Parts: sequence; C-alpha cells; structure tokens
Amino acid sequence: MPELLTVLVYGLVQAAVLLLVALGFSVTFGLSGIPNFSHGGVYILSGFVCWFSLRKLGWPYPLAVAASVAVAATVGLLVYAAVIRPVRRLVLAEVIATFAVGVAMLELFRWMGLVTYEFNLPAVVAGSVALGDVVVDAHRLVVVASAAGLGLALWWFGRATRTGLALRAMAQEEYTALSLGIREDRMAALSVVLGSALAAVAAVLVLPLGLISINLGYDAMLVALAVTVTGGTERTAGLVLAALLLGLSTVVAGVLIGPHWSEVVYLAAIVAVLAVRPSGILGRLKELEERV
Amino acid sequence: MVGWRVALAIPLVVMVALLLGPAAGGAPVEPVVLGVPTALGSIEGADSLRAVQLAVDEINARGGVRVGGVRRPLQVVSIDTREHEPGIPIHDALAALEKLITERRPHAIVVGAFRSEVLLAAMDVVARYRVPYVVTIAMTPAFEARIASDPAKYKYLFRMGLQSEYFAGNLARVLGFVKSRFGLSRVQFVHQDVLWAKGTVGFLETWARQAGWSLVSADAYPTGATDFSASVLRARTGRTQVLVPVFDMPQSGILLKQVKGARLPALVLGFISPAVPADAWQTFEGAVDGMVQFVAEPGPIAIRALPKSVHFNRAYGEKYGEAARLKLSGHGPGPSYDAVYVVAAAMERAGTLDPDRVAEEIRKTDMEGAIGRIRFNDRHQVVYGGLPTQTAISLAFQWRAPGRRVVVFPEMAAEDEIRLPAEIAR
Repeated sequence: MPELLTVLVYGLVQAAVLLLVALGFSVTFGLSGIPNFSHGGVYILSGFVCWFSLRKLGWPYPLAVAASVAVAATVGLLVYAAVIRPVRRLVLAEVIATFAVGVAMLELFRWMGLVTYEFNLPAVVAGSVALGDVVVDAHRLVVVASAAGLGLALWWFGRATRTGLALRAMAQEEYTALSLGIREDRMAALSVVLGSALAAVAAVLVLPLGLISINLGYDAMLVALAVTVTGGTERTAGLVLAALLLGLSTVVAGVLIGPHWSEVVYLAAIVAVLAVRPSGILGRLKELEERV
Repeated sequence: MVGWRVALAIPLVVMVALLLGPAAGGAPVEPVVLGVPTALGSIEGADSLRAVQLAVDEINARGGVRVGGVRRPLQVVSIDTREHEPGIPIHDALAALEKLITERRPHAIVVGAFRSEVLLAAMDVVARYRVPYVVTIAMTPAFEARIASDPAKYKYLFRMGLQSEYFAGNLARVLGFVKSRFGLSRVQFVHQDVLWAKGTVGFLETWARQAGWSLVSADAYPTGATDFSASVLRARTGRTQVLVPVFDMPQSGILLKQVKGARLPALVLGFISPAVPADAWQTFEGAVDGMVQFVAEPGPIAIRALPKSVHFNRAYGEKYGEAARLKLSGHGPGPSYDAVYVVAAAMERAGTLDPDRVAEEIRKTDMEGAIGRIRFNDRHQVVYGGLPTQTAISLAFQWRAPGRRVVVFPEMAAEDEIRLPAEIAR
C-alpha cells in the first residue's frame, strides 16, 4: 500500500511537470494553429536567464522569475515577427522554421559552454513534506499547485476574457473570426508570446528539480508534442488528462520495468493516439476523425 | 685605405654571422608537440587539458625536453572531440582525433579518449599512425584485453588513469566494510548507460550477490538524464540501505538533490563526477552531505604521503586561480599532469622522437607522480593499489558538514572512518 501511494504521489507530480512543460506549446498551437517548436529553446533560455539573474546579478527569486518571463515573451515576439510571420499558414514551413530556431538556440548554448553542473536553480521552497508514508520535497508540491492553478487560469482566460475568446475564435474558424473584426496577425503574435511566457514559467518551476541541461530543451519539445497529441489541442481538460495518463505511466514504467522505459512511454503514446484517435483523447477535429 | 676596408668588412661580417648563426646554436628549435584530443566540454577533459598545460609550462621553464642533445620546448595542441555529449557518434570523435594527428602531427598524445567506446575505436587509428598515446580518462578493461591480443600492433598505447576493475574492486572493499561495520545488507546500483559504468556495475552485481548483499535493483540512465526519481522511488519501495551511483556526467549531481528531497534513509556511496570538487557542497546546497565519494586519482585532493600531489594541487591553484582549484574534477587531471612527465622522460631516455623507441621507454617507466608510483603492467596499464610507494592510488572521501571532504579510503591516507548519515543511523 505505501508503494502504491508513493507511485501515485510521484505520478501526480510527474503529470504536473508534463502539463507545465506542454502548456506553452499547446496554448500557442491550440489558439492560433502555430506549431511553435522553438518552445524547447525558449524553455532553456528562460532557465539560464533565471540562473543568471539569481546567481550572477544577485536578484531576489521573484524578480529573476519576472525577468525570465519578460525575456521569453520578448523572444517569442521576435520569433513571430522574424520567422513565423513570413511563412504564416504554410504549416510545414512553420514547423521547419520554428524547429530550426529552437535547435539553433539550444546548440548556441552548447557552443557557449553552458553545459556544466553549476547551472542549477534553487528550490522555490526548501525542505520535504511527509504525506503519510510518502516523503516528497516541498518544491514538487509547489509544481503540482502551480500546474493546477495555471490550468484553471488558462481555462478561465479562454472562456471569460475578450482576448481569450478572440484567440479561440481564430483557432476554430479563422475566416469567420476575421469577418468579426478580430485582428488575426495580432492574435497570432499574442498566442506565441503567451506560449513563450508559459515556457518560462514552466522552466523556473520545473528546472529546479534537475539541472539546466541543453538536452532538456529537446525533451521539452518531445513532452510538449506527446501531451498535445495525446490530449488534443482544443480543450485544456484534454491536456490535463493526457498529462495525468503520461505522468502516471512514466512513473509506473520507470519503477516497475526500468528508468529507460519512461521515455518510451511518450513515443508509444504519440504512435498509439495517432493510430486510434488522431485528434487526441478529448479532441474534436472532425477532419482527422473522419479520415481514420 | 683603412676606411674602405672597414666599410667592406662590416657588411661581410654581418652576412657571415647571419649565415652561420643558426649552425652556431641560434637556430629556432622545433617544439615537441603533444596532442590532446578529448571532450574539452566535459569537466574532466577541460581540467585535464589545464593539468597538461601546467606540466608543459613547468618543463619549459626548466628549458624543455632534451632530445638527442638538443633542448626543445613542449607545445600543446588540442581538439574537442565532444564525445561526452549525448548523441555524438563515435565516428565524430575519431574524425577529430585523425584531424589532430594529420594536421598538427603531434609527437605524442596525452589525455586521449573520454569515452571507453571511443578509446576502443581509436586504438586502431593510433596504431596506424604510430603515435605514442597515453590515455588518462577512459576506463574500460577491454583496453588491456585488446593490447594483450596484439601487443606489437598496440605498443604505442598506454593508460595512466584508473581502470574500472580497480575502481570496482575499491568500491567492493568499501561496501564490504560498511556491511561488516554497520550491518547494512540492501544495495541498489544506479549507473550511466556507458561502457565503463556498465562494466563496473556488472562486476559489482556479481560480487554483491556472492558477498551476501540483497540487490534491490540496478538502474541504467542514458547520458544526459536529469530525472532519477524512478530510482529514488525504487529505493524507497525496496528499502535500499546503500545506494551506489556510477556516473561521469554533469547532470548526475541532481541525483543527490533528489535523494535528499525524498529523505531517503540510505548511505550514498559511489562516483558522481560533479560531487567531487571542493565547491560541490555549495553547488548542490548541502545535498552531498554524508556521501562517500570515490576519486579516481589524487589531484583534486592532495595527499600528504604523495608530495607531488600536494605540489600539483598548489601549482594548479597558483596558475589557474583558487576557484579553478576548488572545481578540480576527480578523474583525469592527476594522471594527465603526470602523463606529460612520463612522455617527456621517455623521450629524453630514448634520445629521439621515434615513436617506437619512445613507446618502448614509456613502457619502462618507473617514477613518482601526483598519483603515486607510476609503473605499467604488461598490458600497458598503470598499476593501482593501496600503497603509493608501490603503486598509483585511488581514494574515497566522505562529505561532512559544513562542506569538508574527509578521506576515508585507502587506509594509509584515511583521516577517519566512514560514518552513517543521521537519516540511516536512526
């Protein structure tokens, strides 16, 4: 019984991590249809900005987090203006262009030698908490609470604000949205900025669990893709459900079979969902469903 | 009359002096080139290159190497093989090695391969180009087996760094101690999925079963992994008492933070490369507390019984600064520093840079170094043991508050016995 509880608690933590990492990518894709694969690069950049602000400039944690979010949002805007806008609506070109930006950012960090163990962020809250027989570090609980809070906030944003509704309208039917006076270009830019800012929030919450490692940028791309494909892009609930399924599966696979198998879960999920229900667990893309 | 003769004589004398000058001893002597093809982005590779440069500067300050009656300065040329990075194929590292050999024409190579997989593949390249090669980082025992299989072909290759069987043997000895001293019996291995670490853990698994340990699991992680929570969970559910990590990647230090975060009641005893430097206590915010950390060779830690290790440690700090000395890694720098002296001495004894004769002299080496007494066995591996007057040595220390590294192994260098961390002692 304590073993089961341990797996459940850590599975929930892992689900929260996956949700946080995927939210930025998924929000951009879900709201404006832009597959922003520079997500992994922005995620790691935000970690480095936070580290630099904390360790080199000596700024307090909240200010370092704010700096990370601000830099990520600015980079998102620049990526949109310089890279995405010229190839807008050419989906394959969008994928290639944003992926290239992400890889270029990550490999630039590697070239700059940002690869040592020094690049780690402190926990937001130090110490551990005992949940019955299960001991979990307090920072992981912060990650869970933040993921839940962000998920709810985004759900509210998409339904209760004019900007959120405009973004969703654009995602559902772009030309009708245009006819209603929604400025498509501005909304698309906003969705990329929002997604990049969310990548920064994920970075400052998730990276303290490990190191700021270049490879985590590539992992972030994989995780974002796996959660988005599995959950479907239209509903936040789908993302949450996908994160829960994948989080629990990776922890169970890691504990019962071996740590190597955790990564396989993401890939297996992508393949299985694309084969059986290509719009995702809670997705409603008729076009895709009808084809299968 | 005298005037025009003097006017003619002066340029004549100058011309003769210019023509004869080089033959009279003023000619620029060609340097002896030492190649360093390794993973320069890794902490071990970067520190080893600096250790090589330190030794080269020391030798040059004394006038260089006397080869065939001529003193020649040493010169270091390096290339980054990037082999420590995830996803870099062996072929890329070999291409870098070949580029260094063909373009810079080193008279000998030191430090060499970082990954064992690269070392094994590089052996044929080195044999083909006939360059004396002293490796100080890659640890696989397969290196010795390969040399034994064809000693004539691989006569240019030597290893001064610790071989993984010695490392595994030392780990087994210390595990045996904690079992008998504290009655611990449940062990779990967590290791990087690379050749030397797999070999080490493979040996230890077999040994542990025979020695009466109960094996919880042996978990492999790919290079670059940063989440070890699966093993922490396995440790908790399997009631692990001794957790043995075997990693040489910078990300592995996070395992300690995750173990501490889960308040795991287990002694951590093994090798986590980023947990060696003196500033690891600050870097990991005290998460290293209680860990018994192995150091492949002296260098980052000065041993009083080894005066050259004390000199190396001090000289390194003076040349590169105190911050760099505090970050010295636990594998590579000590033997890399010594390797320059071994090669230089071999060249002087050979009296030539002919690779066959230099290799033959390297094989005969018997000298005191920062790592202990340096002698090669018949498979070109420096012999490691417990007595620095007889062999090179490897050591282990325990991290204790407030950030002290207390040497606990081997006995001749130990400052104290291993103590159980408070969590497990309770």
